[in-house]
Amino acid sequence: MIQYAKYLIQFFLILLFQVIILNNIFLNWWVVPAGFPVFVPYIYPLFILLLPFELPVWALLILGFVCGSVMDTFMNTPGMHTFALVLIAYLRTNVLLALLPRNIKEYKQESPSIKSLGWSSFMIYTTFLILIHHSVFYIIELWSLNNIGYLMLKILASVITTILLIAVYLLLFSQRVSQR
Amino acid sequence: MNSANLGVAFWYKKQSDVSYYFALKEVNDSLLNENTRLKRQLAAATESDVLKDSSVIRKELVNDSVKSVQYAHYKYLQARVVNNSIQAASNFITINRGAKDGIEPNMALVSGAGIVGRVTNVSTHFATALSILNTKQSLSSKLKDGTSSFVYWEQAAGPDKLLMKITQPEIKIHKGDSVFTTSYSTLFPADMLIGTIQKVFIVKKDNSRLLHIKPATNFRNMDYVYAIKNEFIEERRRLEDTTQTQQALQKK
Repeated sequence: MIQYAKYLIQFFLILLFQVIILNNIFLNWWVVPAGFPVFVPYIYPLFILLLPFELPVWALLILGFVCGSVMDTFMNTPGMHTFALVLIAYLRTNVLLALLPRNIKEYKQESPSIKSLGWSSFMIYTTFLILIHHSVFYIIELWSLNNIGYLMLKILASVITTILLIAVYLLLFSQRVSQR
Repeated sequence: MNSANLGVAFWYKKQSDVSYYFALKEVNDSLLNENTRLKRQLAAATESDVLKDSSVIRKELVNDSVKSVQYAHYKYLQARVVNNSIQAASNFITINRGAKDGIEPNMALVSGAGIVGRVTNVSTHFATALSILNTKQSLSSKLKDGTSSFVYWEQAAGPDKLLMKITQPEIKIHKGDSVFTTSYSTLFPADMLIGTIQKVFIVKKDNSRLLHIKPATNFRNMDYVYAIKNEFIEERRRLEDTTQTQQALQKK
């Protein structure tokens, strides 16, 4: 049970960082007359991405639902974060199965990290799932294809910023892991 | 489940307590601007220059024989913004006043400069409001000459732009003209500033004009807002509903 305390702390850390700091930073990359989309980078899916390998799919779905609901409450959105997060919580296992060199059951008490997957595989894993999450979220949010260019720009800008932030987060944390 | 919940609002309050300190200068400036604007309005109303002579205050005589009964239509309450968003399809604002302070759903929210939104959910100590930056609701508006239309928002337009369509081709529109709220709205008091016209586009399809309006309120940093309660809204709504049902019955 004690090894899960780490994930609980991670949950609070990531969500607080998201809610208190990132939600108040409205980014737009540059100002053009047409208006570049204003967006908030959503890094909270990282919580689902970093959960241990041995967790069954049902547990991932429940955790995804809880985390998504918390985000929805904070962002005043009707279940949009929950939908996107539960979706990637479901897809996570399949993506890992495709990327891992060994059988997933051989990884005992390990979680997806740079150490277990390697930089390139981990970035593919992260980018793929974040891309799905952001695409689904923004498509539900906009819910029209009138401004498809705007939608694409927003997804792209937001995914790139999120990936950069996740990379920074991982660099900070992998440092601590190697010191142990 | 929304950010008027006490647990959620607690974190937003903590966060805004920190960031509030850094915005003190802007708050000061905006309050000063608002004060000047109000003094100017007061000067125009009382025909005495209060800007030059602040001691000129006209007291209302209670025992005046010619007494016109004046109802206070609107009740103002002040609040601080603890959370705010501009990037979503429906943007919400959380304020640090709730049911305990007299905030009710469907109260209007205005800043010192212009209109902000409508209160939707209320908890004991907090309330959330739907900002006018939302794709669900539009707001009735008018130009300076009284041409009424409505102001709406599209997410792709960004937080610094509201849209308004004028179908009458004969109306003259100039850049920089102000756009106000109307008395048709059951929400906002009439003649409150929405924004100023930034650009005028001609829609070729129906020869109407699409105005890009720069909102008077800066939605990126809001600190103090006022919640406005229309005391007569219930009465007005009841009357209007009765009239409508009567009309419907007569048609049958």
